[in-house]
This record gives sequence, structure tokens and C-alpha cells, in this order.
Amino acid sequence: MITPRFDELIHAPTRLSLVAFLAATEWADFAVLRDSVGLSDSALSKQLTTLADAGYVEIRKAFVGKRPRTSARLTVAGRTAFDGHVAALQEIVAGAGRSLAPTGRAAQPS
Amino acid sequence: MDDQIEPSDAARALSEIDRRREQVIRREVFTGWFWWGHAVLLVVLAASIESGRDVLIGIGIAVFVAGSLLVDLPVQRAARAAPTRRDLAGRASPAVPLAGLAFVLGLIGVAVTTGLSLKAAGVSYPGTIAAAVAGVAFAVGGQMLVRYEMAVLVRRGSEG
Repeated sequence: MITPRFDELIHAPTRLSLVAFLAATEWADFAVLRDSVGLSDSALSKQLTTLADAGYVEIRKAFVGKRPRTSARLTVAGRTAFDGHVAALQEIVAGAGRSLAPTGRAAQPS
Repeated sequence: MDDQIEPSDAARALSEIDRRREQVIRREVFTGWFWWGHAVLLVVLAASIESGRDVLIGIGIAVFVAGSLLVDLPVQRAARAAPTRRDLAGRASPAVPLAGLAFVLGLIGVAVTTGLSLKAAGVSYPGTIAAAVAGVAFAVGGQMLVRYEMAVLVRRGSEG
């Protein structure tokens, strides 16, 4: 059961793109994230740090041979927050649809 | 806070989320030459075995094994760089694994039928020709299979 909960931290456009990308992966390499979302290295680092500070993202640093390799993935808290955020967005859209639909009273001839 | 969010903004955010999910699914992991590389290696292996000469068979097997590792390496690397979430694939119904199974059985059927037919007709190198036919089917069908799997995953994802 997902509880709708709007999350301001996730909703910021760049972070939304990042979290949505991460939500569809087990984890993602820094380079893949950077190229897919279209960010500079520094901008991506900053956003990932913000998400990591909130406990939404886990950042792993490893070495493949002599080359450093950074990857990131959503934590359980991050995934829960993302699912709740998606549910909240769906509620907002559905609510707008309901308010636009004609009510029974309005549909009746006067 | 969500009271201040316009429905159009929420709809845009949902569409961005869908777009990113699709981006992960459609991320290019298999290169075109992956399929043709394996097709060529299959023909090399079949030709070396069909030659019946131990040295050529040894070389053919070595080329096949080394070549397969070489062709697979970038694909494995790309797949490991951002593996699609398992439950995203798991929602794809049995259609995806069934399509994969049908593809493999189809390839075996094409190779065996072609090989046996050519042998019965007395054509030289029936195994090599059958491997070439199966290789082309593998290269063309493999790319179609990947596109089909992606389309199924994207469709299932957007259905929620």
C-alpha cells in the first residue's frame, strides 16, 4: 500500500529526472546518469549529494583497475518517497479530472 | 505543499517519470555488431568443424571462444553500468521469456532443417551454410527480439 505524499525534494525538475531514472535501475554509473540526464559532473555531484544527505540515494565508490568508478542507487527510503510522490502526483491529476467532469446535479436540466 | 501544485505541473512530472523509465528500458546495451559478430563466429566454428582437420577445429574453437568473449565484453559492461530493475522486467508478463524461447527454438529449427536438407541434396559444406543461414536469422531476429522486449516493457510500464 503506497501512501500518497508529495515530496518537495524529489519534485525539483533535475532531481525528479535523476530519481525517476534511478527508480528504473538497480543502480547506475555516474557517467550513465550524467549523460542520460544531461548534467555536468559538478551539477550531478551536487544533486546526488543533496539526495544522499536526505537518505534517498546511496553513493558507492569503487575502483575498476586504477580507474575510480562511482555509482548510485535509490535507498529503500528513497524508493518509498518516490512511490509516494508518484501517487501524490497521480492524485492531483485525478482530482483535476474529477473537478472538470460534469456532476449529476449540473447535468440535470433545470 | 501539494495544494499549490497545478495539475498540469503534476501531469508534466508524471510524463517526465515515464520518459525516464522508457529511457532506461531503451538504453542501448546491444550494439548492432554484437549480433553480426556472433553470426560470423558461428560460421567460423561450423566451417572449422566441418573441415574435419584437427588443427582447423582447434583454431576454430579458439577463435569462437576468444571472439565471443571480446564481442560480449562491451555489452556486459554497458548492461552493468545501469541494469534495469528486476521488477520492471518481471512485470512484463510471460510474453518476454516466451518470445526468447521461441527465438532460440526457431534458430535451432532453421539450422537443423537447413543443414539436413542441404546434406540430403548432396550440397558441400551443409553445416557451414546452415550456420550462415542461422547466423543471419540470429543477427536480424535478435535485434527484432530486443526491440520487441523493449516495447513490451515500455507498454507495461506505462500501464502501471
